[in-house]
Amino acid sequence: MLPANFEADEGLRETIQTSQGTPVSIFDEFLDAPNFGGDAYAEIIATYLRDKYASRPPEVVVAAGSEALSFLLQHRSTLFLGVPLVHLAIPLPLLRSMQLPPDVVGVPVEYDFLLTVEQALRWHPQARRLLLVTGASPWDREWEARLRREATRFSERVTVEFLAGLSTDAVRRRLQELAGDAVVFTPGYFVDGEGHHGTPRQSVEAIAAAAAAPVYGPYSSFIGSGVVGGYLHGFKDMGRQAGAIVNALLAGSAPASLQLPALMPNSLQVDWRQLRRWGIKENAVPNDAVIDFRQPSLLERYRSETIAAIVALLLQAGLIASLLFERRRRRRAETAVHLQRHELAHASRLAIAGELTGAIAHEINQPLAAILSNADAADLMLEAGGDRSDELRQILTDIRRDDLRASAIIQRLRALLSRHEVERQAFELNAAVDDVASLLRGEARRRQLRIAFKHAMKPVTVVGDRIQIEQVLINLILNAMDAVAGVADERRTAVTVAVEQVADGMVVISVRDRGPGIAAEHLPKIFDSFFSTKRDGVGLGLSIARTIVDAHGGRIVAENTAGGGALFRVELPTARLSLLMTAPT
Amino acid sequence: MNGGPLIHVVDDDQSLRTALLRLLAAAGFEARGYASSGDFLLQPLPERPGCLLLDVRMPGPSGLELQAALQHRGCALPVIFLTGYADVSSSVRALKAGAVDFLSKPVERKTLLEALHRAIDRDARQRRERDEAAQLRARFATLSGRERAVFDGVVAGRLNKQIADELAIGERTVKLLRSQLMAKLAASSAAELGCLAERLRQLSDT
Repeated sequence: MLPANFEADEGLRETIQTSQGTPVSIFDEFLDAPNFGGDAYAEIIATYLRDKYASRPPEVVVAAGSEALSFLLQHRSTLFLGVPLVHLAIPLPLLRSMQLPPDVVGVPVEYDFLLTVEQALRWHPQARRLLLVTGASPWDREWEARLRREATRFSERVTVEFLAGLSTDAVRRRLQELAGDAVVFTPGYFVDGEGHHGTPRQSVEAIAAAAAAPVYGPYSSFIGSGVVGGYLHGFKDMGRQAGAIVNALLAGSAPASLQLPALMPNSLQVDWRQLRRWGIKENAVPNDAVIDFRQPSLLERYRSETIAAIVALLLQAGLIASLLFERRRRRRAETAVHLQRHELAHASRLAIAGELTGAIAHEINQPLAAILSNADAADLMLEAGGDRSDELRQILTDIRRDDLRASAIIQRLRALLSRHEVERQAFELNAAVDDVASLLRGEARRRQLRIAFKHAMKPVTVVGDRIQIEQVLINLILNAMDAVAGVADERRTAVTVAVEQVADGMVVISVRDRGPGIAAEHLPKIFDSFFSTKRDGVGLGLSIARTIVDAHGGRIVAENTAGGGALFRVELPTARLSLLMTAPT
Repeated sequence: MNGGPLIHVVDDDQSLRTALLRLLAAAGFEARGYASSGDFLLQPLPERPGCLLLDVRMPGPSGLELQAALQHRGCALPVIFLTGYADVSSSVRALKAGAVDFLSKPVERKTLLEALHRAIDRDARQRRERDEAAQLRARFATLSGRERAVFDGVVAGRLNKQIADELAIGERTVKLLRSQLMAKLAASSAAELGCLAERLRQLSDT
């Protein structure tokens, strides 16, 4: 990769990874242009990318540089079709010449050669010669053409000379001979006149090392290579900007809806050591300029060497990095979040079960006690002798019924405690409310409270996880029972739970108490995690309730009622009839 | 069996109530069931020996509240509590209030029947004591003022002469009054009179 790519990539990763809640996988692909090119090569790369990412299509593709952008646009019908594309480091004029689809977005750059050259001429008023160094690749030739067009405006003040498409050796020789009346500007080059490939940074290092005159360049990646500086776009900033766009897209924004700046800002960036070398006074440097290497620390030196080492390793120069976000990994991350939520819901059910243990034990104890007494009674009857088979048969019937009653309670408890897979199944809401009623009967009894359950007039079918919906109701009812715990007036201790089909496709389950109600300042945060008004509350119950209801496409609201007390409404979409019909076999 | 012990079973769980009534019947007891404390209080309570078998937690007034209400009304039927909860504070409260037992469900037949027997025994003893006290009070009520004064003197351990001096009457009169009151109280000795006085003191204390 190029130093520019390296910086852009750094900015991109830093922005995406610090803002995304879930881990995002970033894959770099390197087109290795312009070292390699041609239709056959492009076709092979496209096939390669298509196969490589066939099973793991990316969420967003970032095209760094115009080669990457045109490659991706060219192969769009077969590669990453429908995946939004974010571009970075694309010059504005180039972008204007292209017809971009609406899902290709980015902030273009405008390399302002003129500003840099003008700054150079201000700092070197004695300069009489402006040397422009360019290379031999088609890309390099484009820069040359542009420079030839734009540099004419300086021809009145200085002699404009081009060192275009020369061998690096020749460039070196020419620059070594310069005297104090020259200023050099170069965008670097990929290929020199002898066909040697390199990166623009490598070329500019050679140029700056040889030049007996100050060298200026338009890229921030040149800083530290020996150039004085220039009006630059930071590649890292471009990476950050692209990262911000990626974040917005991953968050679900439509590409066309993004409000983007028209251009990447540029700024004057200079190497403090070069200012000193060429006798530029610090007070001649505008205040908003970025001055690098003012006190080159060991760390900075080490860092630049590290970059150089990476550059050396990636010697094959190219221009393009396209970054891919793998959808499946993201889905896996989503699954992880989902699982975590699931675990939390389960933990919350365990807590509920813990709270209900005493009451549930009592509920199981009742039939067990009846069974034992019935068995004892039968025993005594048999001891007493005589034909009492009718009574004994009745006893056995009762024993059987009580046994089933106990086991039903255990089953409901087990269902509540189970770490089951989240289900999406149609279930009858009134029946679920009955389950809740039976699980809470003992608790109401223990607390000496009454819960009134009102069913909907007709059966109501909801699609989702029955246990989780029951959990939500239990939670709300337990809260309601807590709310009326301190109420002295016995008429106000009843909790009402009602199921009402309010409209087609919508059912409301309301849990109403006549306790003190919810304090106004607590209402807005009552569903927040870790918000609790209870002395020993963790504050997860309602937040989990909301998560569950959200996942069922419904909503949960809390309000205070006119008569005093709190009202929680759980609104759920009901199943359409078609969902209930089983497919013909 | 009319007039024998009657056991009142108060439990809101119909199934358990039925089983308990069945068991008590098989064990030879006469028993009646009630679904709530209110049901029990609404029924006229026959004047018969027996006891109460009470569930602690019920909708409406709890077993403990029923126990308190009965004591308030002066009903001395012994109470056995049945509970599904291992609840120490309730059991302490119940036993302090005079419950015979505090049993947890499910209850073993032996345990239950023993507790019932204890409760019925206690009820019988209480009834006997109540009858005895009533008789004693009735007899004591027949004493005249002077007989009562002599009685006080005798149980205080004073001699006839001392009593005569105190009351400013003749010693013979004291002897006469003393034999009259002993006849009325069906006592044969001064020692017995002392016991009666002690019983009366206890009765007036409670």
